[in-house]
Amino acid sequence: MIISLGRRRLFSALAALALGVTFSRPAAAAEKPADFVRQLGSQLVAIVNSNLSPAEKKQKVLPLLQQDVDVDAIARFCLGRYWNVATDAQKTRYLGLFHQVLVNAITDKLGDYRGVSFTIGATSPVGEDKAVDAILMRPGQPDANMQWVVSSASGAPKVVDVVGEGASLRLTQRQDYASYISRSGGTVEALLNALQRQIDKHNTVAGH
Amino acid sequence: MSSETGDQQRTLHSQTRRLLSDGPTHTNRRTGSTGRIGSLLVATLTLAGCGSLTTPKPKDPEALAEYNEANDKFEPMNRKMYNLSMTVDKYTLKPVAKAYVWAVPRPVRSSLANMAQTMNEPVVFFNDVGAGKPRRAGDAFVRWCINMTAGVGGLIDVAKYAGYPHHDNDAGLTLATWGVPSGPYLFLPMMGPSSVRDGIGYGIDTGLMPLNYVPRGYGLLTFNWAYNIVNTINSRADRIDDLDNLEKDALDPYATIRSAYQQQRKALADSIKNDHRATVPDWYN
Repeated sequence: MIISLGRRRLFSALAALALGVTFSRPAAAAEKPADFVRQLGSQLVAIVNSNLSPAEKKQKVLPLLQQDVDVDAIARFCLGRYWNVATDAQKTRYLGLFHQVLVNAITDKLGDYRGVSFTIGATSPVGEDKAVDAILMRPGQPDANMQWVVSSASGAPKVVDVVGEGASLRLTQRQDYASYISRSGGTVEALLNALQRQIDKHNTVAGH
Repeated sequence: MSSETGDQQRTLHSQTRRLLSDGPTHTNRRTGSTGRIGSLLVATLTLAGCGSLTTPKPKDPEALAEYNEANDKFEPMNRKMYNLSMTVDKYTLKPVAKAYVWAVPRPVRSSLANMAQTMNEPVVFFNDVGAGKPRRAGDAFVRWCINMTAGVGGLIDVAKYAGYPHHDNDAGLTLATWGVPSGPYLFLPMMGPSSVRDGIGYGIDTGLMPLNYVPRGYGLLTFNWAYNIVNTINSRADRIDDLDNLEKDALDPYATIRSAYQQQRKALADSIKNDHRATVPDWYN
């Protein structure tokens, strides 16, 4: 009896969860990319402008990145043609390293700014994705034109690229990696080792 | 003593004779020297073709796609220029720019940056006209007028607050709007990323800059020098953090600069091409 009740509860909980998912999915898909970017942007700006310590800011930003940025898709794009020649072990290692590198790159810059604000502009299609224009305003610096490229391929809207003053971050990164690989013997292993060194260096600098 | 003088005279005579005898064949000699320069040029091109200055085209289709995307035929030469520029920068311009940021307070620096931008506004104006974008040209013209007067010789960007924000333009972009392809990527020593087209554009812009035609006197030449020096230091100072971050974040900073530069130039050219605003501002109608 207890077991069956527990089971029933479990089923109803699962059903509720499934319903919740099915109800929230269309809502998420229907959510306009501009609204998604506005929401993500205001959360980021609130963290950047807060008086928290850099470590605390990092802690707050991490879940946002995990939830709203498709890091795996960006990682695959950045490896370009070498993704197809990489072994499964290399792919797994690469994805792990890329996550860390990206998080380091973003969180390093969090402490640099205060008094940041932004406005959202028009949305335009880029292939199957949507690019949302935004202008970032920083005190004492010229306004920066940005585009947030949002993909809904995974069901929920996720950021897959940021274009700053016309330069796509993922494309720039891909050309950086491609050039590094081709100049280091053409092996993915060389890139993985370089990324590892980058992370180690970052940790030692942060540790001091 | 006397024999020495005699020797000197003899040498002089023989030299004169040779000069005189060479007189009639002067044209021949000129063709010879042109030929020599020509063969030097051919030799350089052959050398370049042999791969010391250029990268050979890869055979693999995917690698070829990557090669075409990078658009960097002269990569070996460009990398040498890049390394040279970075080393020189490290010991000259970068420390100067850092000292400048340390010594000069931010409001003064931004005023000088405003002035540099205003002084460059005629170049933007001429290029806007060249690109056939009257609205942009008008904006540049109004910016120059407002900032030179109300903005105290360009030190305050009043025009921005009056609704005329700055926009970039240069002859490289004008040529791009005319459909001139960028040509291969170039890294110019001490000047940074460029392309064949943008390098030519730089030359045109230097010619379009009124400040380069100032007459002697009135301290204008001194002002032109001071302007160029301050502008160089100021724009380097603006990039201190960016370049430092780049060297930290990029595995191959050269390739990252190359990629970002070419994307940004393309985006700028596209934004000028796609600016179809009406010639007159809204308040005019």
